[in-house]
Amino acid sequence: PSFPRVFTTQAASMASTAGTLDSPVKQIQIEGMVVLKIIKHYQEEGQGSEVVQGVLLGLVVEDRLEITNCFPFPQHTEDDADFDEVQYQMEMMRSLRHVNIDHLHVGWYQSTYYGSFVSRALLDSQFSYQHAIEESVVLIYDPIKTGQGSLSLKAYRLTPKLMEICKEKDFTPEGLKKANIGFEHMFEEVPIVIRNSHLINVLMWELEDKSTVADKHELLNLSSSNHLEKSLQLLMDRVDDMSQDIVKFNTYSRNLSKQQQQKHQYLQRRQQENAQRQSRGEPQLPEEDINKMFKPPQPPPRMDTLLIAGQVNNYCQNVKEFTSQNLGKLFMAEALQGHN
Amino acid sequence: MSRFFATGSDSESEESSSADEITPKAPGTTLKQSLLLSDDEEDTKRVVRSAKDKRFEELTNLIKTIRNAMKIRDMAKCLEEFEQLCRAFLKSKNIVDKEGVPSFYIRLLADLEDYLNLLWEDKEGKKKMNKNNAKALSTLRQKIRKYNRDYETEITAYKENPQESADEEEEKEAGDSGSSSDSDDDDDDDDDGVSAKAFLKKKPESAPDASKFLKSSKGSGESSSSEDDDEGGWGSDPVGSGSESSDEDQGKSASLAVVFLKKTHESEKSADKKVSKRKKIKKEHLEEEPEEGEGEEVEGGWEKVKGGVCLVKEKPKMFAKGTEINIPVVVKKLNEILQARGKKGTDRAAQIELFNALAAITAENNLGQGILVKIKFNIIASLYDYNPNLAAFMKPDMWKKCLDCINELLDILFEDNNIFIGENIAEDSENLAISEQPFRVRGCILTLVERMDEEFTKIMQNTDPHSQEYVDNLKDEGKVCNIIDRLLDYLETKGSTEEICRVYLRRIMHTYYKFDYKTHRRSLGLPAESKSEQDQDESEGEDSAIIMDRLCKFIYAKDRTDRIRTCAILCHIYHHALHSRWYQARDLMLMSHLQDNIQHADPPVQILYNRTMVQLGICAFRQGMIKDAHNALLDIQSSGRAKELLGQGLLMRNMQERNAEQEKIEKRRQVPFHMHINLELLECVYLVSAMLLEIPYMAAHEFDARRRMISKQFHHQLRVGERQPLLGPPESMREHVVAASKAMKMGDWRTCHSFIINEKMNSKVWDLFPETQRVREMLVRKIQEESLRTYLFTYSSVYDSISMHTLSEMFQLEIPTVHSIISKMIINEELMASLDQPTQTVVMHRTEPTSLQNMALQLAEKLGSLVENNERVFDLKQGVYGGYFNRDQKGSYQQKHGGYQRGGYRNQNQNNY
Repeated sequence: PSFPRVFTTQAASMASTAGTLDSPVKQIQIEGMVVLKIIKHYQEEGQGSEVVQGVLLGLVVEDRLEITNCFPFPQHTEDDADFDEVQYQMEMMRSLRHVNIDHLHVGWYQSTYYGSFVSRALLDSQFSYQHAIEESVVLIYDPIKTGQGSLSLKAYRLTPKLMEICKEKDFTPEGLKKANIGFEHMFEEVPIVIRNSHLINVLMWELEDKSTVADKHELLNLSSSNHLEKSLQLLMDRVDDMSQDIVKFNTYSRNLSKQQQQKHQYLQRRQQENAQRQSRGEPQLPEEDINKMFKPPQPPPRMDTLLIAGQVNNYCQNVKEFTSQNLGKLFMAEALQGHN
Repeated sequence: MSRFFATGSDSESEESSSADEITPKAPGTTLKQSLLLSDDEEDTKRVVRSAKDKRFEELTNLIKTIRNAMKIRDMAKCLEEFEQLCRAFLKSKNIVDKEGVPSFYIRLLADLEDYLNLLWEDKEGKKKMNKNNAKALSTLRQKIRKYNRDYETEITAYKENPQESADEEEEKEAGDSGSSSDSDDDDDDDDDGVSAKAFLKKKPESAPDASKFLKSSKGSGESSSSEDDDEGGWGSDPVGSGSESSDEDQGKSASLAVVFLKKTHESEKSADKKVSKRKKIKKEHLEEEPEEGEGEEVEGGWEKVKGGVCLVKEKPKMFAKGTEINIPVVVKKLNEILQARGKKGTDRAAQIELFNALAAITAENNLGQGILVKIKFNIIASLYDYNPNLAAFMKPDMWKKCLDCINELLDILFEDNNIFIGENIAEDSENLAISEQPFRVRGCILTLVERMDEEFTKIMQNTDPHSQEYVDNLKDEGKVCNIIDRLLDYLETKGSTEEICRVYLRRIMHTYYKFDYKTHRRSLGLPAESKSEQDQDESEGEDSAIIMDRLCKFIYAKDRTDRIRTCAILCHIYHHALHSRWYQARDLMLMSHLQDNIQHADPPVQILYNRTMVQLGICAFRQGMIKDAHNALLDIQSSGRAKELLGQGLLMRNMQERNAEQEKIEKRRQVPFHMHINLELLECVYLVSAMLLEIPYMAAHEFDARRRMISKQFHHQLRVGERQPLLGPPESMREHVVAASKAMKMGDWRTCHSFIINEKMNSKVWDLFPETQRVREMLVRKIQEESLRTYLFTYSSVYDSISMHTLSEMFQLEIPTVHSIISKMIINEELMASLDQPTQTVVMHRTEPTSLQNMALQLAEKLGSLVENNERVFDLKQGVYGGYFNRDQKGSYQQKHGGYQRGGYRNQNQNNY
């Protein structure tokens, strides 16, 4: 899927606000309508592992980011390549402004499939967002978990460290080492608060009373294997990728060390020769550019490995969460059975 | 000596050619004679001339026929031809406009009119004519009257002075050209005068000049003497035509023409003299021939003359008349001919002719078999020599000649027990004379036969296998076998063991790939269907198996060269495999240990090995040894180059990988079409074997992370099948197998069966086996068994217990078979179950891990390998720095990190880094 890009006018307009944030955003407050819109968007357009995306609109108020509206990116296939997303976004925001709705770009949202979202594409597009609009976040909506009864919506942004690295585009092992960044410190989650108007709250209470038990308790579903299998499958794929990356890195470091050795030998030989020449009174051999003779092998970019690690971590968290919940449910079920 | 003479003759020919040139040129100073130099005219106006020549020739031809018709008073023909003539004349109008109306045309018109008038007046004669002729006469007369009105002036001029007018024409014509060519002439004369060097430089031209001159003189000679029938006679019979044309001139031609003809005559004479001189030289020294040949190439124009003379006149006079033909003379002659062999420019066909003639003479004079054998050897050798390029194949007729010759040679050898032949008999110690002692002749008939056989292969390689020609050529294989058989008989009595081995191998090579139908039929207990006597003969012959056995065993025992033995073993195995003697074939293959060192053999042997392995695999398949079949075919099929490996065709590759030279070599290795192994059959056998092995395996190891593939090729086919967006009914053999595999995966043996064995597959594959029915039965059985296994693997988790009766009904297998299959599976721990004897049921233990558990196991395994890899990275880092700097540091480093708990892996492998 194509990932949203920030367009320039917006970036320019926000440039003034960027960097002038007195305090970083500590909390995100989402309008209930935004949540419903996102869920509806997925319901209508997403299926299976397909993801849906859209733009978040809102404002920064003190240390919290209020997301008050959103609109989806239209799905488009390869066929209509001339579809201009930027144009569409501009149009959309202009129209919203006309009806006096918050029109400031504050990030984007994306659905996820079993918690797989940590990817290069997401990183790049979130970086470009954050680069242009400092407070922007990405909302990750997990429809599967939501389907099981608990709404899963998480807001992420890149850590300042990762922003630095992305700015420098230095993904070599050394660069990452210097930055001292691990997969844990790549994304930071921002706590979310869903706010509804009082009227809506009242409506909710009413609805709660009206709904049947069956509607409410899908979170008591005991079946687990399907979800776990899927998660494991995905986890395994990532682990495979990881293994590959490690093997790649392994060869790289072996080559590097081999070359180091050669270089060392060469230097020693040169030294010896020079010593001999000196004793014979001959001029020393000219110093050559050693780096030219021994071109260091291209180091494999490590960013992907980091991302994979992050993703693996994510899966693990998911599985852990899921199993702990399920375990609780199972105990509950057992207790119930014993009681009967 | 020969060399000396040869050069002598060369210089002579130069002289004579120079003489040719000078003869016409010397008198070229005067205008009158310059007109004879029509070659100059030709030089300057060549294009026009040729067009004119063509047209005029057409005209003269027509005129000739008209005159003939006139002679026999065939008016109808005359009319027809006249009409044609008029048309032709119209066509050549362009030229006529330029050159004026040719005199011969006018002459004909005048003559024809006179003649017609004469006929018309001859009332009696007219009455005698038949209706057709009379009618034609009147029409023609009217026509020519009308036509001649246009040429009235010319005709009257001609009638007044018939000869002169003709000459004038000529003179005018020639004069025109002569004046234009005068300057050229002068130049030429100057050149002649300048120096010998300049002349020499011009030498190569002189010959063509001369020939041109002669040619053109012929043309004008014709035009002047229209009744000259002998058009092309000049070249073939120089003197004759000269005299003839001068005879036929008969005063019609003017004095000029006579002069002209005389001149040509003179030059002819000189040429003639030269030819005769040559003849003389040749008679004296035959060896000179090759040098002469080289000379010829320079001279060009003379080649034909000499060749004709040499061939036609030389042959009967191989020996001077009156020479007593005895052995030394013949031998000397033979050597003479032989010396020319292989030299550039030697006419190889002529050489063969010479040999044949010599053989005929020898036979005629009863010089004994010895010399005849020797000549025969040489004939065959020169037949082989006929093709200068070893890569090219012999012409089939040449090859047939060779075949006959070998046959004759063998006849002689069989007839006469007194002849010893061998390649190690020295030339000097040959005994060709008829005497008490046996003949001794140098030469190796085995080599000749081998070469003949190779040529046969080459012919087959180069014939389109789908043509009738191929079939015709293949019919000759019988003859080849016959010769080899005869040779075998001969060598068995006279040859050394080595030679016997070689000829045995030849015999084996012609036997091993043929299926012995009569033995097959006999073993089935069917009466031999003898359609003809030949069939009967064949069926009475020895079984090929017995022959193979005898020949091969001899080679195993006696052969000293490794190659022959290897080939013999491979052929023997192939033959065994072809006739379904699987165990013999397999044992021989294993005992020979050929698999270990075949990669060191030369490519043809490797191809033979590949063929043998394939045949072995197919044999195993027929016998129901699916696993063996698969293993035998795996190497060939997995490469995807079966066609190339079996020598049955070249793979399309770009030219970078293979240049033209390599391609030629590869082409030479190809196996002739009639020996091919059907590639589709091969692939089908392989895929079906793979299916029977792989599908149960896949079912059994569905969740195994480290599942390896048995057959990559088969998986590839499956994937291709899956990729198909729309799955129609299977068409090709592969699609059938893929479809069958899918059915088998579900344990549906009936569908699988119908996909593997149906009409399409029968016609494509299964009917190619000699024991089709048996193979099919075996196949059905295997499909049932493997389907049962697959079914149990796939669905055992669904069952608590299953009755063997049900299984037996489902798969149409007897209960004992089902029982044995299930028992085997239980023993091998493939199926977690137990058999309940009294109720005849299989009780599942349900201990197989669930899919989630399987996945978790897989994940654990993967993580294990991940950790391993990670450790390796870490070790590398540590090892490198430790080794690079110094040991102490490493120790402290290790101590520092001693708290780390690392897997056993590192401890094991620590020493490696």
